[in-house]
Amino acid sequence: MHIRLSNLKRDYGSLHAVQDVSLDIPSNTIYGIIGRSGAGKSTLVRLVSMLERPDAGQVYFDDERVDNLEGRALIEKRRRIGMIFQNFNLFSSRDAAGNIAYPMEICGMDKAYIRKRVDELLALVGLEGRGNAPISTLSGGQKQRVAIARALACQPDILFCDEATSALDPQTTRSILALIKELQAKMNLTVVMITHQMEVVRDACERVAVLDGGRIVEEGLVSDIFANPHSEVTKDFLSHLTNVRDSIVRWSQEDGRFTLRFRGDTTDEPIISNVSNETGAVFNIRAAGVQHVGDEEMGVMVLDIGPDERHVREAVEMLKKYGVLVEGDV
Amino acid sequence: MDAQMISQVLEATGETLVMVFFSTLFSLVLGLPIGVLLHITGREQDGGIIPQPVFNSVLSRIVNVLRSFPFIILLIVLIPLSRLIVGTSIGTKAAIVPLSIAAAPFVARIIESALKEVDPGVIQAAKSMGSTNWQLVYKVLIPEAMPALMSGLTLTIINLIGYSAMAGTIGGGGLGDLAIRYGYQRFRPSYLVAAVIVILVMVEIIQVVGDRIVKKMMARR
Repeated sequence: MHIRLSNLKRDYGSLHAVQDVSLDIPSNTIYGIIGRSGAGKSTLVRLVSMLERPDAGQVYFDDERVDNLEGRALIEKRRRIGMIFQNFNLFSSRDAAGNIAYPMEICGMDKAYIRKRVDELLALVGLEGRGNAPISTLSGGQKQRVAIARALACQPDILFCDEATSALDPQTTRSILALIKELQAKMNLTVVMITHQMEVVRDACERVAVLDGGRIVEEGLVSDIFANPHSEVTKDFLSHLTNVRDSIVRWSQEDGRFTLRFRGDTTDEPIISNVSNETGAVFNIRAAGVQHVGDEEMGVMVLDIGPDERHVREAVEMLKKYGVLVEGDV
Repeated sequence: MDAQMISQVLEATGETLVMVFFSTLFSLVLGLPIGVLLHITGREQDGGIIPQPVFNSVLSRIVNVLRSFPFIILLIVLIPLSRLIVGTSIGTKAAIVPLSIAAAPFVARIIESALKEVDPGVIQAAKSMGSTNWQLVYKVLIPEAMPALMSGLTLTIINLIGYSAMAGTIGGGGLGDLAIRYGYQRFRPSYLVAAVIVILVMVEIIQVVGDRIVKKMMARR
């Protein structure tokens, strides 16, 4: 289901949580919305998921306006979306199976059907036979799996993930993202992922919108944005990512001054050697590796350039000519 | 201690049990909807799902006024109401009326505070799935708050055991009545001691059983 946001606005008193946000979220994709805490992500997801009403602007699901629905129509529409959360928000009064059954119960589905469907869903998220488990006995990853099964129980068109992996360790995060990707493809879902983790965007999303101060500052294909970030916020997110990334090998404690990114066609040439030979600049490589961004591979190198500022300028210029994306102050 | 005294204590115990049982039941019937209303019409940040500030503060005031009413006075004030409902203003049955009405606002507050403890994230999740308000209350709020509601119920019963001892003032019978009429007014301290011991045992049993039920509920979560 295609989602369109048009000039959304939401204030809390004098705080402009969301200001004039317009977005097109295409059908059948995983769409990331990234921002620091306080950027307005949570408010935005509450507006899009019909938990809150915007002060101005509209939300459309497949050209049907949904932000002004009321009463029964609102409840029916909410039943067509699924949502998972950072803190899982599972019912402690119900076991795993009872949690998954809940959305079907409230729609008044047949008991025998619910029982069958709960078993299917448990298998789908890799928790066969754990239906009777009390929620407190499950690990974080298992809780999120139950939450995913619950969110997908009524075969929704849209799945909202509100910081769904923020409370999980990196390994569990990867397995949950893999599961979401798998289910997205299987069920033709439109997935909207709200996060503050660039890893999540990189590993799971096709497109991303960067939110800052309640506004969209950058939007596009994840591979484009990783290769060529424009806004400061995006660059900041990316630099953080380079530093923590485990696929990048780091052989110096010093943080490099520049981050170079090599895309597709640039990765076959001995660019660094060429630049060094032609300009006489010297390179001190601090860390390097390959990042997978969506389906694209991207070389990343963190380095310092010497011996002086003149060489730095020349080298950076030439690197850019070769199509290398250079981050860092010249 | 003689046979007569034993039979009198037994009879009074039975009366107390009847008073406590029915007044607990009726105070729940009255207090539960009030407590739920107090919670769901409360402020959104307190977990209210349909905030109604004016209604909420009026209801809250009424509950406060009823709670601060001294029970001994309520007993007398409610004599006409007891007569209307049970047909008599004296006896165990008549005492159930003021006991229920005295305990209802207390129960309402206990239920309200138990519901307040429910994780607002869970309510948000249930809401996002398209729960109606009614479903939020009976399928989410109340089950999620069950352990807290259960310990609230224990507290209510114990309070009602204490209150029921005062019902003797309107000839309500029960252990309190026995202790005052025989133990105090007829100078037979053994009655007093017996009544107090039975009440202590009752309270202890209720507390232990209540705690055990709460523990069992928590173990299954």
